Amino acid sequence: MSGTNAEDTKRDGFGQIGKPILRKEDARLLRGRGTYVDDIEVSGALHACFVRSPHAHARIIRFDMDQAKTLPGVVAVLTGQEINAWTNSLQLAPPIEGLQPTEMTTLPVDKVRFHGDPVACVVATDRYVAEDAAELVYVDYDSLDAVTSYESALAAGAPLVDEALPSNLVSHQKFEAGDVARRKAEAHRIVEATFAMQRMTHLPIETRGCIAVWDDGRQHLTMHIGSQAPHPMRSALAGRLKLGEHQVTVSSPDVGGAFGQKIIVYREEITVAAIARHLKRPVRWREDRLENLSSSLQARENTVHTRAAVTADGRILSLEAEILEDFGAYCFYPANYLARVIGMILTGPYRIQDYAFEVKIALTNKCGAGPMRAPMAITSLVMDGTLDAVARDLDLDPAEVRRVNMLRPTDLPYVMPTGETLEDVTPSECFERGLEEIDYAGFRARQADDCAREIYRGIGICNVIESTTYGSAFYRAAGIPGSGHEAAWVKIEPSGAIRASTGLMGTGQSYETPYAQVVAEGLGVDTSQVDILLGNTDIAPYGMGARGSRGATAGGGTLFLTALDLKAKMLDIAAALLGLNSPRELDIENGKVLRQIGGEWMETGVGIADIARTAYLDPLNLPAGTQPGLEMHRAWDPPQMTYSNSSHFCAVTLDAATGQIRIDRYLVVEDCGTVLNPLVVEGQQQGATVMGIGGVLFEHMVYDESGQNLCGTLADYMIPTASDAPEIEIVAQHTPSKRTPAGIKGMAEGGVMGAIGAVNNAVNDALRPFGVVAERQPLSPDYIRSLLRVAV
Amino acid sequence: MTGTAFELTVNGEVHEVLAEPRKLLTDVLREDLRLTGTHVGCEHGACGACTVLVDGAPARACLVFAIQMQGREITTVEGLTPAQGLSPLQQALHEEHGLQCGFCTPGIITTFEAYLRENPEPGAAEIRQVLSGNLCRCTGYDGIVRAIKKAARIMREGASA
Repeated sequence: MSGTNAEDTKRDGFGQIGKPILRKEDARLLRGRGTYVDDIEVSGALHACFVRSPHAHARIIRFDMDQAKTLPGVVAVLTGQEINAWTNSLQLAPPIEGLQPTEMTTLPVDKVRFHGDPVACVVATDRYVAEDAAELVYVDYDSLDAVTSYESALAAGAPLVDEALPSNLVSHQKFEAGDVARRKAEAHRIVEATFAMQRMTHLPIETRGCIAVWDDGRQHLTMHIGSQAPHPMRSALAGRLKLGEHQVTVSSPDVGGAFGQKIIVYREEITVAAIARHLKRPVRWREDRLENLSSSLQARENTVHTRAAVTADGRILSLEAEILEDFGAYCFYPANYLARVIGMILTGPYRIQDYAFEVKIALTNKCGAGPMRAPMAITSLVMDGTLDAVARDLDLDPAEVRRVNMLRPTDLPYVMPTGETLEDVTPSECFERGLEEIDYAGFRARQADDCAREIYRGIGICNVIESTTYGSAFYRAAGIPGSGHEAAWVKIEPSGAIRASTGLMGTGQSYETPYAQVVAEGLGVDTSQVDILLGNTDIAPYGMGARGSRGATAGGGTLFLTALDLKAKMLDIAAALLGLNSPRELDIENGKVLRQIGGEWMETGVGIADIARTAYLDPLNLPAGTQPGLEMHRAWDPPQMTYSNSSHFCAVTLDAATGQIRIDRYLVVEDCGTVLNPLVVEGQQQGATVMGIGGVLFEHMVYDESGQNLCGTLADYMIPTASDAPEIEIVAQHTPSKRTPAGIKGMAEGGVMGAIGAVNNAVNDALRPFGVVAERQPLSPDYIRSLLRVAV
Repeated sequence: MTGTAFELTVNGEVHEVLAEPRKLLTDVLREDLRLTGTHVGCEHGACGACTVLVDGAPARACLVFAIQMQGREITTVEGLTPAQGLSPLQQALHEEHGLQCGFCTPGIITTFEAYLRENPEPGAAEIRQVLSGNLCRCTGYDGIVRAIKKAARIMREGASA
């Protein structure tokens, strides 16, 4: 069987896909019967606690562990000396021009590079005792000067964060398409703008943690760990622990949020697994909130300067961008991984062909950075913010400047200057619809009236092109190990029970329900009959995991194709059972085989349970050449990129006396293709948008000049609460993709991108009467007041 | 095993506990009594995931020692869950997509079981004010607010029926 083609699977009138079916996972989670990693009981498990650096940058001189080791209940205290001998280091050297190769050992032995760097691990019979003992480990440090900003990292004579590199400039790339110099010479004006996002962190409400169980008899490691990507984690764990991949099982239970923080295997987790193997005893570790805030991956902290060459009516002739990022102390990912996507899709839904960008990434003495829900989050702010700068400079209406630059339906498919192709997107339709829904013209009239009464209102627009479902072609070019494909299996058991699996693991995205819907759609059964099994590498097929908004398209799409293949096999068997030569006139609906007779679908009396019974228990009655059993396994590699789009609109009121921003209304018009489950999609859009709002207004991971992390509690690092979050209105306007199964596209990161742009642009609109512009986030009352003080 | 022996009343049941006086209520509930529905999110009283009811009032289980709870009635999410099916509040959270990863959810259930008993007809602003003590990183809160409003209505109807 050649299998179903992705491009032949779009049709009208799905039965299960698109229904607002309530979530399957809720029953256990609502009853307090979910199983998160720390809920798993493992008898005899030891507890690990890490000793961490209090310095941002220091040589490790010596350890004194005598007191810790003699505390009753302490089993072992281990440093990089032992752990590094038991494990391999992480080498990152993808063949990318301008990217410095890096290597890091499991624990540092020569020097620490950030406040929170783990240097030793205490293992004890009790977590409280392990924490006591960690405080008794004495480490003698010789502190070094730290670099704590992009600028200081690249200053002449700056101390080296990674002494194996020639400088702290760990990655540097340039790109140019078209003829930017010529367009600038032709331009009416050159408009410059700056955008900066602060250092942030993912902040899942469940911190990290793991339980390593080493079976010394079978020489096998079972790693219980909340993971977005169990298979890549298994490969990495095996490689770092010097084990064969077959010797490692990764089992991800329920996960209490991740947002990009639970993709890679961290040094702490490798250490815990290595110790479990060495001691031949299970070891568990629960990260506390201080550790999560100071030592789990952080994100963002980038600055983008743009230069737009424009005509008098605001049309962009060329765009230049300088993208600068502070990547922290260690490369857990290739350093250009996040910034390259910003450069790649920066021009968004606008007609720009003459385009250049430069990416520079610096290492600093702060916690390492990585992807966080919308790694390219700043992109849409930069593009739409640049259009707002053009509007301010030329005294034009911001909506009009967007309109003259925006791709029209007749421009599609559109090849962006970076070679990316936009198709099946509707930026102008979403934008115009949003302007109507929010009554843009009416708002402008009220805004002018209110301004005269010293009530400062602003409206912000952000048009988002969201890159989703990164395929193998993308990952290869980005230097990320592995592939972009996803695999799935669907089984119907002899009893007729239906089970299916794919390589992605959910961390709150509700996968179990929409995945059951696509399998049910493909097979012709009801969603309630399908069980989805995720997260265990012995059960799930190999795949890249949940990242880059690929859950629906890669996971859902592959499951759908697999179910369609299995249905084809079932129809072959049904035809034989019915004495027909071909299954051409047969279909399955609600578990029953139907036959088309004279244009009418009639029941045949054969159902899935009959087919299953024959396939497993009476294989002699199968058509010639048909294998016994009802199991199908297949893979699908998505296109390099599948694009969704949305338009965000935000109305704010600025309190000029205090600098406080109040969001009065928030509206999103979104096109994310065929929707598997509208409840899930709306929940993702709202959640992403509020996460974006948190970034604009509140969240800030602060380090002082010496590299001390000042955000050790949730009172310092503030995420939006229910009182801060506005109601998010969503208008759905979906266009199926031609390239993916059932026309699915990704989503769930665009909300972050749109909010970062729309809120910031709204605040700058409200600041316009004062002649000042906010160029960096968060837009805290302090920062807004500092701008207003200069203005008056 | 070392520790101090004491009695703890949880979900109407009296448990003999042997634990160190410094052991937090969260850890005793989760480790000694295996009631893992109470989650640990910050251990400094900020996130609300560990909220339980102490004599019917919401309290952060990460901010008290278990041994301090002698003579008190502790109620956890397990104690607020009917033997079959879901409570009206749980059912409303289910119907209104009021949870995603579910980690903060038990703390929201305990908080609002108590709140709705005293405030059967809250407005959206009041709900948001009370909910601001429970951090959720997934939903953006809209679904939770809708669910609490709906649960309040169903509970009022149930009470008057």
